[in-house]
Amino acid sequence: MDRALFAAATGMAAQQQNLDTIANNLANGDVVGFKGSENEFAALAAPGEPGVGTVRTAEHALFKQGKLERSNGPFDVAIDGEGFFVVGDGHRRAYTRAGEFSRAADGTLQNAQGWRLVGVRIPGDAQSANVAEDGAVTVTTSAGIRTIAHLQLAQFPAPERLQSVDGALFTPTPASGNAHLVTPGGSDGPKLRYGMLEQSNVSIIESMMQILTAQRAYEANAKGIQAADEMLRIANNLQRG
Amino acid sequence: MDGIAWASSAMVAARTRLDIATENLANVSSDGFHAALARGRLTAAGVEIARVATRDHGALRHTGRPYDFAIVGDGAFAVRAADGRVSATRNGAFERDRDGLLRDTQGRELVGTTLGPGATVRTGYLETSNVNAIDEMVDVLTSQRSFESAEKVVSAIDGVREKNANDVARVK
Repeated sequence: MDRALFAAATGMAAQQQNLDTIANNLANGDVVGFKGSENEFAALAAPGEPGVGTVRTAEHALFKQGKLERSNGPFDVAIDGEGFFVVGDGHRRAYTRAGEFSRAADGTLQNAQGWRLVGVRIPGDAQSANVAEDGAVTVTTSAGIRTIAHLQLAQFPAPERLQSVDGALFTPTPASGNAHLVTPGGSDGPKLRYGMLEQSNVSIIESMMQILTAQRAYEANAKGIQAADEMLRIANNLQRG
Repeated sequence: MDGIAWASSAMVAARTRLDIATENLANVSSDGFHAALARGRLTAAGVEIARVATRDHGALRHTGRPYDFAIVGDGAFAVRAADGRVSATRNGAFERDRDGLLRDTQGRELVGTTLGPGATVRTGYLETSNVNAIDEMVDVLTSQRSFESAEKVVSAIDGVREKNANDVARVK
């Protein structure tokens, strides 16, 4: 295989993957709890030989904290710090930082995709609800205020290795390890913020810059292919009968 | 060496230059990557291109992730692959695995760091590729042109030889 052609082709493929990832990040720039992803590339190296191009070694979500914004939804909660809400669909569990919940007919709190927050059921006589920093869920009824649940957050040994379902919902993998539950609050633990939502952690400006860089790098690699092709053409015409 | 051999060695050298430039360009987004330089020299066998590693380091970029490390100055991370082979890398993008070990994105375990005099490690940063895309583009273009020039020389010598062989002794 022609070295230059191969190297340039892997370079173009890498920038294509970069553009896919950036486009996906941008498309989810407004999605609550969304975590942008990033690609990691490395030189393709055969042992004892210089490399022939590049390869994507990882695409991982960046769990950088998104901005917290006041939303005033009656069941909106944001996580300030590390951890995930535990949600279930009746069969399996998943983990998310998107805390935009609404009250279902049976009193459970569900998100837009129908995943329900595990361990919370708002009683029918509740007039309003509140979530404290430490996860205590209280409701106000005509009889007064009472605590109905304590929310716990899930943390993982290797959160980067979680499987992303849609960028905001995650499931564990063997590499991520199992969830362990922590109680929010405390001096250095995660805290819950009631009436707030964590915005997407994608920066639009940064993404636009990344698109420009990826595009130019793609073009540069394409020029490499053209040059290699041109040289092959000349070499093929050396013998002119 | 005759002229055709000289010119064809120049063509091969131009191809090698292109190989190196495209290799560098392909890795413009590979963190920690150090470009290779094409250095030409004349030998008894014609033009030869040597691949020389660059020593200047890439710019740092802030990621804020807890296990991203960048070496400021000379040095390298020692990583051990699953087969036990230890290699050196400047790419400091590590992740904690479920057993608490730090592994790079190729699954190799971080086993140590060797730092040159005065070098430090910064957390939350990665060293970007030190490839300068403009330099490499210039190399792509010049290698293409020098390939063409060398080819013209080969063709010219070939044309002269053809004349010698077929026309000089022709009797009209």
